Amino acid sequence: MEKRQDIALGLLFAAFGIAAAWMATGYTGASGNYPMVLGLLLALLGGAVTVRAVRATRNEVRALVDAPAQMIIAAVIATIYVALVVPLGFYTASFLLMLALPAALGFRQPVYALIVALVFMALIYLVFSVLLEKPLPREALLSLFGSGA
Amino acid sequence: MEFYTNALTHVLSFGPLTAMIGATLLGVLIGALPGLNPVMAIALLLPLTYSMDPLVALAMVAGIYNGSMYGGAIPAILLRIPGTPASIATTFDGFPMADKGEAAKALKIACWSSAIGGIASAIALMTMGPLLARVTLFFGPAEYFWIAIFGMASVGVMVGSDPVKGIMAAVLGLLIGTMGIDNLSGQARFTFGQTWLLGGLDLIVVLVGLYALPPVLQLAEKADLKGLSAAQLRLTNVPFKPGEIRGLIPTWLRASGIGIGVGILPGAGGNIAAFLSYNAAKNASDDPSSFGKGNPQGVAAAECGNNADNAASMIPALSLGIPGNVVAALVLSALTIHGLQPGPQLFHQNPVLVGGFMMEMLLTSVLIFALGGAVATRVFAQFQRLPGVLLVPSILILMCVGVYVINGRPVDLWVMLVAGLAGYILEKVNVPLAPIILGMILGPMAEQSVRRALLISRGDATELLTRPISAALAIATLLVIVWPIFRAMRRRRNTTKA
Repeated sequence: MEKRQDIALGLLFAAFGIAAAWMATGYTGASGNYPMVLGLLLALLGGAVTVRAVRATRNEVRALVDAPAQMIIAAVIATIYVALVVPLGFYTASFLLMLALPAALGFRQPVYALIVALVFMALIYLVFSVLLEKPLPREALLSLFGSGA
Repeated sequence: MEFYTNALTHVLSFGPLTAMIGATLLGVLIGALPGLNPVMAIALLLPLTYSMDPLVALAMVAGIYNGSMYGGAIPAILLRIPGTPASIATTFDGFPMADKGEAAKALKIACWSSAIGGIASAIALMTMGPLLARVTLFFGPAEYFWIAIFGMASVGVMVGSDPVKGIMAAVLGLLIGTMGIDNLSGQARFTFGQTWLLGGLDLIVVLVGLYALPPVLQLAEKADLKGLSAAQLRLTNVPFKPGEIRGLIPTWLRASGIGIGVGILPGAGGNIAAFLSYNAAKNASDDPSSFGKGNPQGVAAAECGNNADNAASMIPALSLGIPGNVVAALVLSALTIHGLQPGPQLFHQNPVLVGGFMMEMLLTSVLIFALGGAVATRVFAQFQRLPGVLLVPSILILMCVGVYVINGRPVDLWVMLVAGLAGYILEKVNVPLAPIILGMILGPMAEQSVRRALLISRGDATELLTRPISAALAIATLLVIVWPIFRAMRRRRNTTKA
């Protein structure tokens, strides 16, 4: 057991449970009872995890993230990608992700990455846009060319 | 019998047949790539099946599930890296066999054992599923409430190493399941004034985030820049000794039985089935010391056991509407996506669909024989030459496209991202993710059942405990929760004394 992690986890769940139970008091009739019971139960279980961690005599130190730099790089780039998918368009944002993320993680073979990106994006286009005809966020570049024409 | 012959004619039509072949191949590939798992693959696939025929969608689920369970054996044997958690036990004897130059033989045994386990499991599903569905015709709202709670409690305490955290995760899932408009009163709950939350959080969006993002982040953490060399993936053919295959039959029979038994239990997964089957084979052997040193029986037991768990885990899901594991939960989601209500009535209202899915579980297991052979294995093993860092953005893109096409809402991408980051942290602090998903699925059923039961009894809560079946289920639920906690406390007390 990692004492600090478990104390924080228990407190977080307990706070979450109390907040949910409190919000449920504002709901009319029977629709509030069920989430209120669940909220209180969650708070109770969170409290139990915290108390158990505080009372524990052993503390097994365990890193929350094994490779923080790589994890943060991947999480930040994933967040930027999600933010750019709609304004840039799905294919443009995805193509940039295919090149940027491996490079940010230390991959130094740009031609290899480019070939994999081109093949993968072509497959995605064939499957999702041609075969399944799924509507995806429109390409900003195409819109620019379209309005210029 | 007519139930299955009707279903078979539909299953053998062009759409489902092509889907089964394609998905089984895809499943083997997914299993072969460490870091990818069947849950992630099926979660990514489900949003794309909205517009498909349900039998085609379920054919893809069956193919990926069975195929990936075998595919996990490829890196387990060649590299001692389990492709899926269920193939950990395969590494014990698979890798030593490869080390002795018998990799091709080990892969062939894994392929046959996976197919046999899958076939046995599908037969169990086809015989036991309809029988169990008939029993549930006697169930009322009180019984359904307890079945839902029992399912969640079992999964909560059995997955993961800490029963308290497991139950906590299940309660969190139940609470998330209450978000949106309450069907019975019309009250909006936990919507924070956001109209997009009125329908609650989309299960598939949360599921893709919880199950696909943590492995992607873990792949990024490993920062694999090279992939494998051609020399590491070279296979040489070693012929079987006379009687060697016949000697595996008792192991296959034993492992199939164990896998089916484990599959029916909620919460226990393919990894437990594989370990139990491996231990049983070792205990039954005349030479237990040869296990762990390249005994083909070890590979056969582990692979047969983990595939025998697959279809069996669908027995409670299809007949009771209670998923025993996350893949079963995904199958239930696939059914609800197509407007079908899982449970006993499904057998009467959609016999072709239920029977068809069972046949698909059987046929995709048979397909492993044909598609998972040496040639396919050689081809799929080559994908391991791809550096892991190139897989990271590829999976992220598949996640985004899968989530976006569900509702066409950018906000779902953010929900997926938040769920994924939360899932990554929760896994690190030993909070299992499966109970959260099962809570989200079973929560509405539990709430509606308990409120209906109270309406029928005019507010008398004893109705939930006085009917014989509901009382038995309530006691079983209590035992499932209390027993592991009691055992953990006793173990801790003994450790402190020592």
